[in-house]
Amino acid sequence: MSGILGTGVQEGLLLKPVKYQWAMDLYDQAVANTWFPNEIQLDQDIADFKRMTDEERHAITYLMSYFNPNELLVNKALAFGVYPYVNAAEAHLYLAKQMWEEANHCMSFEYVLETFPIDRDEAYNAHVDVPSMARKEEFQVNFIKRMTEQTLDITTTEGKQDFVRNLVAYNIVLEGIWFYSGFMVALSFRQRNLLRNFGGLIDWVVRDESLHLKFGINLILTVLEENPDLQTPEFAAEIKQMILDAVEMEEEYNRDLLPSGILGLNANYINQYVKYLADRRLEELGFEPEYKVSNPAKWMATANDTYELVNFFESTNTSYETNAKSVTGSKSE
Amino acid sequence: MSITVVKRNGQREAYDANKINLAIEKASEGLDENITWVTQIASELELTLFDGITTQQLDEAVIQVALQNVKDDPAFDTVAARLLLKTIYKRVLGDYETDEELARLHLEHFEPNLRRGVEEGLLDTRLIELFDIPRLAAALNHERDDLLKYIGVVTLNNRYGIKGRNGDALEVPQYFWMRVAMGLSLNEDDPTTQALGFYEKMSKLEYLAAGSTLVNAGTSYPQLANCFVMEMQDDIEHIAKTVRDVMWLTKGTGGIGLSVTKLRSMGSPIRSNNTTSTGPIPFMHTIDSVLRAVSRGGKKFGALAFYMENWHLDFPEFLDLRQNSGDPYRRTRTANTAVWVSDEFMKRVQSDADWYLFDPLEVSELNELYGAEFSARYNEYVADAEAGKLRMFKKIKAREQFKAMLMSLQASAHPWLTWKDTINLRALNNNTGTIHLSNLCTEITLPQDEDNVSVCNLASINLSRHIVPSTGSGQARFTVDFARLEESARTAVRQLDNLIDITKSSVKEADFSNQQNRAVGLGVMGFTDAIEQLGFAYDSEQAYDFIDEVMEHISYAAIDESTELAKERGAYPNFEGSGWSNGLVPLDTIDRNEADRGVPITVSRKSTLDWDSMREKVKKGMRNATLMAIAPTASIGLVAGTTPGLDPQFTQIFSRNTSSGKFLEVNRNLVADLQKLGMWEQVRESILRSQGDVQGIAALPDHIKEVYKTSFQISPYAFLEVAARAQKWIDQAISRNMYLESRDLGDMMDVYIGAWERGVKTTYYLHMKPRHQAEQSTVKVNKAEELSDAASARAAGEGEKVGAGAAPARRGFGFSGLATKGE
Ligand SMILES: [Fe+2]
Ligand SMILES: [Fe+2]
Repeated sequence: MSGILGTGVQEGLLLKPVKYQWAMDLYDQAVANTWFPNEIQLDQDIADFKRMTDEERHAITYLMSYFNPNELLVNKALAFGVYPYVNAAEAHLYLAKQMWEEANHCMSFEYVLETFPIDRDEAYNAHVDVPSMARKEEFQVNFIKRMTEQTLDITTTEGKQDFVRNLVAYNIVLEGIWFYSGFMVALSFRQRNLLRNFGGLIDWVVRDESLHLKFGINLILTVLEENPDLQTPEFAAEIKQMILDAVEMEEEYNRDLLPSGILGLNANYINQYVKYLADRRLEELGFEPEYKVSNPAKWMATANDTYELVNFFESTNTSYETNAKSVTGSKSE
Repeated sequence: MSITVVKRNGQREAYDANKINLAIEKASEGLDENITWVTQIASELELTLFDGITTQQLDEAVIQVALQNVKDDPAFDTVAARLLLKTIYKRVLGDYETDEELARLHLEHFEPNLRRGVEEGLLDTRLIELFDIPRLAAALNHERDDLLKYIGVVTLNNRYGIKGRNGDALEVPQYFWMRVAMGLSLNEDDPTTQALGFYEKMSKLEYLAAGSTLVNAGTSYPQLANCFVMEMQDDIEHIAKTVRDVMWLTKGTGGIGLSVTKLRSMGSPIRSNNTTSTGPIPFMHTIDSVLRAVSRGGKKFGALAFYMENWHLDFPEFLDLRQNSGDPYRRTRTANTAVWVSDEFMKRVQSDADWYLFDPLEVSELNELYGAEFSARYNEYVADAEAGKLRMFKKIKAREQFKAMLMSLQASAHPWLTWKDTINLRALNNNTGTIHLSNLCTEITLPQDEDNVSVCNLASINLSRHIVPSTGSGQARFTVDFARLEESARTAVRQLDNLIDITKSSVKEADFSNQQNRAVGLGVMGFTDAIEQLGFAYDSEQAYDFIDEVMEHISYAAIDESTELAKERGAYPNFEGSGWSNGLVPLDTIDRNEADRGVPITVSRKSTLDWDSMREKVKKGMRNATLMAIAPTASIGLVAGTTPGLDPQFTQIFSRNTSSGKFLEVNRNLVADLQKLGMWEQVRESILRSQGDVQGIAALPDHIKEVYKTSFQISPYAFLEVAARAQKWIDQAISRNMYLESRDLGDMMDVYIGAWERGVKTTYYLHMKPRHQAEQSTVKVNKAEELSDAASARAAGEGEKVGAGAAPARRGFGFSGLATKGE
């Protein structure tokens, strides 16, 4: 097999020539976007947290409880289901960086969970105890298991299909829809001048996840292109249904996230956003949109879509890069 | 689901859409009638409602909904500002229906609220003793609140308004302006008339006092000064005293510049106990901790900038202070850093010569010397070092150290570069001693010593409020109102001079220096806002000529006012021997600087006003040791609703992250220009998609693209030219923010050498263009399409490096009938 898929341990040990330039470009971007959670100081956020309403605190705790274990679940999906079946060295480089980033995300949420005054036992157990959360996790685990417990043969159509299923499950669904709706909820607090530093942390995570999505979508499109045997209406229908099912699971989860409602946000509102996101992912995969709803969270233009000018005396600037050295040009020599 | 609202008294009532609609209608009065303000805001509000929402939450929710539409039309910002003002009026003054009632409430509550402030010990008792309060109350004009943008109302309310002991807000915006005006008139013979004059200017946003003054004027704790400049002496007692002074000054909200150049370096001997020194770094870390422990006015962390000369042996470690990694005890996470650079160093960088680092203990007078004298002594020490006569020294390449500074600047925005010889040679006030450092924002240049903690007092003229419709027959639609500009400058200088006699600090060396020098710094804000209205691009000759002419007029009026004040109130005690007393004005210092440096300073010397008679006037006496300085105005610029200082528009649409939250800023001048062309609605999504860059939008005319560049598209040399032209008229300095797209160190070296060559005294933060951005939420995104675009662009040789391996459009699952059918 000469495409991006393959299992040869001794293949792909040399980077050059780079065949999949997009993977190399994404690796460079990811390296430039390296950050550490301890750059954020949460003193003010803790004060905010204490004066928030019960339902607001519940929402934040619930989000953390979900994000924290699921960052590591993404790593399992990558380690068991993607890395072993990809042959290009440039893709391996990127995946290694992404896995470190997921670890870093986990540590970031860990940092918040350990800093905020919450019931930690409840928070750490929620992904098992809360049915709507457990259901989302089970959905993911099923797809990862197919990559491990059965010996998967990546040269067969069935093997390649499993590869794509797992990819869609962790990348499109988990990272691209479920995480993204959580990011919107997390950032909404900053729009009310609450949890600003936590918001800065989320900005960083979102930037990473944007790259993860670019990588995942590229990989799916590349695999589809290189493998005409995957281009069947039945398989397409199955993938689309996975995404629609994921939306339904997320709706149930969000009703537990906000049983009543908080200032500016309620479960219906979040679920409209989920559908807006799902349509975007469907279109990126070549499907027609399903829900055709508008984005209710127009304020994301402020929270996420624009360059941020920081008043240095008041906020952590998340725009600086740590690896200035890697970009010195020849003129300076 | 039926929605009930919980009222302040705990009772529930059914949600009344009509009431909300009326409020929105009122808040959109006078705005474009073609926009269905009420329908749009009300329908979006309904999405967010939930049962049990409180009236307070409901007020906030309406405002948030109005705000989220600012990206489509900045007039929504006006609606949000008015809605917020209404909640403030109701909180401070009580319920009202009509404008007349609101005016009456303003009038009626003014005196009782002042009295309450005094009774609760918040305000200066003299506010109810010295003034004709009914006359002041009659002048209050709440219609001026309409000048405030949303972020201005928020900033006023969060940061500057006085609150009662029980947390009640006591000030509406016009009370606030009046209280500040009164607090700065306490020393006047006719305080009421003078307060009315100051109120008139500030409430119209024509100039604003700086932050500390706005917070504390008229209060029982009048620490009104903005900047403090001091140094640590190389002795343990003085280090301890400095820690104490930093605590007190921080408590009083002032920003601090602190030089550590004199501290002996690590490993230097200590005679008293026969050990060696740990160097300055651990002491800096100690001060950094102090800044976090003592919050400024209870609201912000303390703010301080450390200065060090770059010949100090520990300078390499100084460069690492702001690094995030490494030993946390050798870092300063809160304090800022700035480097004090000599001409000798710049010349050695240019000639690729060596650079020597010394222990201050062995070269103590270097810190006192500047210009040619510094160079001569430095070269003697170099010879000593090579001859083995010094205990400690280090030799490196000047260029390597310069690159290390710039690399650190790029990665952490520190250290800021400031030029000691330019500053000292272009000063008119260093007759009392060498200037050893600048301040927290790099616009103050005052000498200090062990007995003097220098103090500066700031105000900024809002240039955009001095642009008026043109009356002449020419083409220009707008012009500068020079008469108003002169009036603003004169009033501001008097206000600043008053401040010196009213302010208090808890550091006796600061009060002493303030009285001896009476240093003030009048600056400007709204430069870019103004030139956009005039139709000039930031990097155009017209813009350079504009700042040159405007600063010349302001400087002339300010200096003249100071000579008048000297006649009325006497010259400042340290006047004799100053540059002023020798008949010098700021413009004269360029040649002095050039002669000493022996290298041309590349800036125009042109002037238009009668400076010869001013030279005669200043000889006779000045009230103030310094008059001009351009501060960053990051916070008061928000209140004034204009571009800060000399800053460009960051981009045409961007977000501001401040301690009051995150706000979207859409360039209203651009929107107005595009609305006139009937193009705004058609291009606004493209502008958001490009994060405020209009250059790639084919439909836009060239003159729009010319005027509305992002800060990263403007040549960095334009920032330097604007600063160099303004610096001609400014006796102190300018907080010159820099913006760079290029990350090439060679380019950076050229830019910063360019600043030095133009006689610019200081630079401030460096903003690098961010290279990474999250997936956008509110504009249409399809990464698969972007990828095929990029691939075809690459195939066509246009070479945008985003990169997809395969050239044809990628359709993913779009191969089947199922995918195109939809549901
Ligand atoms: Fe992640
Ligand atoms: Fe991820």
